[in-house]
Amino acid sequence: MLNIEKIRADFNILNKKNGSVPIYFDSACMSLKPNQVINAINDYYLNYPACAGRSSHKLGDTVTKKVKEARELIAKFINAEDENEIIFTRNTTEGANLFANSIGLKKGDIVLISDKEHNSNLVPWLLLRDKLGIVVKIIPSNEDGSFNLNNLSQMISGAKIVSIVHTSNLDGATNPIKEIVEIAHKNNALVFLDAAQSIAHKKIDVKDLDVDFLAFSGHKMLGPTGTGVLYGKYKLLEKLEPFIVGGDTVLYSTYTSYKFLPIPEKFEAGLQDYAGIIGLGEAVKYLSQFDFKDIKEHELKLNTYITEELGKIKQIKIIGPKDPKDRSGIINFYIDDTDMHKFAIMLDEMANISIRSGQHCVNSWFDSKKIFNSARVSLYLYNTMKEAEIFINNLNKIIKIL
Amino acid sequence: MPCILALIIFGILGIFSATHRALAKEAFDCVFRRITFRPCNTDFQEKIKGKILSKLIIRSTFLAKMVNKHYEILSWIFFILMMGSAIWVFRGGYNFYVYGSCNGLNQSGFCAFDPSGENNKVTALGDGTTCGITQQTEASLTLKNVDLSGFPVKNADGKDKVVFIGCYACDYSRKAYPDILKLIENKNANYVFAHYPAKGDTTFLSDAGYCVDKMYKDKYWDFNNYLFSTDKNYILDKSNLDKILENFNFDVKKINECINNPETKTIVENQVKELNKTNVYGTPTIFINGKAFVGPKPYRVYRSAINKFIFF
Repeated sequence: MLNIEKIRADFNILNKKNGSVPIYFDSACMSLKPNQVINAINDYYLNYPACAGRSSHKLGDTVTKKVKEARELIAKFINAEDENEIIFTRNTTEGANLFANSIGLKKGDIVLISDKEHNSNLVPWLLLRDKLGIVVKIIPSNEDGSFNLNNLSQMISGAKIVSIVHTSNLDGATNPIKEIVEIAHKNNALVFLDAAQSIAHKKIDVKDLDVDFLAFSGHKMLGPTGTGVLYGKYKLLEKLEPFIVGGDTVLYSTYTSYKFLPIPEKFEAGLQDYAGIIGLGEAVKYLSQFDFKDIKEHELKLNTYITEELGKIKQIKIIGPKDPKDRSGIINFYIDDTDMHKFAIMLDEMANISIRSGQHCVNSWFDSKKIFNSARVSLYLYNTMKEAEIFINNLNKIIKIL
Repeated sequence: MPCILALIIFGILGIFSATHRALAKEAFDCVFRRITFRPCNTDFQEKIKGKILSKLIIRSTFLAKMVNKHYEILSWIFFILMMGSAIWVFRGGYNFYVYGSCNGLNQSGFCAFDPSGENNKVTALGDGTTCGITQQTEASLTLKNVDLSGFPVKNADGKDKVVFIGCYACDYSRKAYPDILKLIENKNANYVFAHYPAKGDTTFLSDAGYCVDKMYKDKYWDFNNYLFSTDKNYILDKSNLDKILENFNFDVKKINECINNPETKTIVENQVKELNKTNVYGTPTIFINGKAFVGPKPYRVYRSAINKFIFF
């Protein structure tokens, strides 16, 4: 069981002495950062702000060692076979773009995606459709937003890639990845998993899931902004062509030739965000102290309360599965013909409650459902029941004036 | 409509606050979208509405509900009120510039630019003791059917005509006098000076002025300037008159004979009767091309009247 008070003590923003402490319900967009992560970043800038890999002085060696440690921690965190399967990126979007542009798709190749993909797992494919002539097919979900394996089975034939979200940032629903992977692999398709929303909320074991590629961001898992990871099975990574090349990606070069470094350096062009990578390693270390079952249980308790209370308000409609246990820490709701930005602004002004409003980078879904926008509450391990109650009280006040 | 309102409000607040400047920029974007027939950025509209409602909801749910329900109509009402206020402020500013009072010519109501009403203060006629702001009577000030031929005239050929009705003992006349002299100097206007003994016993100075003008026309304006610029208590002391006349090298005896002549008394009395035909109610009252300015106005007011800057 999580000790919430102890956890909250690690987050400076939740312990402000002066000024009001925010009720932060927007962790699906960006999680808060524990002091341990911030201190690790500061430590880099204060004590060894040098280059990794290329400089042979002591400071450079320290950075190289710390970056290697972070890579190892992350590899262990997702149970990767080899630390070199971890490629540092800026975020999930960059990981998706790196994969999409490096896998060597040709005209006519089929890519399957779900109908609830974040723009980061939709637009790169649409761009390749326009540039290369690949075919992008959308797998329709069930009415409640859950994944339809039958639809996948019917559409998989001939597909080269299944690029799918793990946990949707739209409704919190988690897709049955093992089953999806099984169907895909039987049909010789590769699976790319967008784990941006799931990485911080559930245990991910890439070997168990057997996904071929997986991307996630640091900023949603207590880590710094501008950090992310693309995981790939080593043998598959070897087949990828680098997307961005230049400094630190080659062993040597002449005026007419070059030789790439081995994986992962080959994909990590230019000077890296060492402070961020070290911070991400620290975030992984921080998260590793918890049992994901406890995090899930805590989120479910809060989600259940909020879902029940929202259920009492007849105008409110929750997007996705009805049962909160199928929605991770996300409660995304809307009211017909109402601009939900107003709710987010009012909650912020009234009680310093931070929620997200809009289309959450899933414009395609909102467009297809003819829903203007929604307000999303996303919970994490530092949220409390008291915060959930304050949220509901203030939401009820707003509902009264509609 | 809310974004136009927001633009004006935040535009003004933005002069002093960077936060409001950003909102003003958003409001401008919103207005620009509207006038180019594109939908306004809903984020901004809802942001403003949300901020207003969240402040209200803490105080009264009912009030917040009403505002939410009638937001657009309320925005229109506030917009109209604001435009009305803006027009009113503009009018006030214009009035202050050309009349010296926000409320219009010779109006003595409160004016933010002249809170103490200095530009409208007069010495009231009648008991000869009331000084300060006198509410204008309904009487309309006019020069019609007023015979000014007996009063001293300067620049008789001047195109513009200025008539100054003032009293040597009136502080407000004394305040306005230098500006009128400057105006006459600059504009070469036809200038008539009429002394109205509004305060204290200054009729003897009217008599003296009449006689000086009659006997020493070329020296009259110097004499008049002296009376307006010298210590009031000194000139109001009758016993000092001879010394003053002497200083101008006038024939004191002859002037005193003129002053004491009953004919002079009659003429001066008749002059006051003529001045009363203007419906004058306080000094100074200055007619510039027929328009009356009561009280000591700033110089620009007189200049504007001559330059015909006045639209209304």
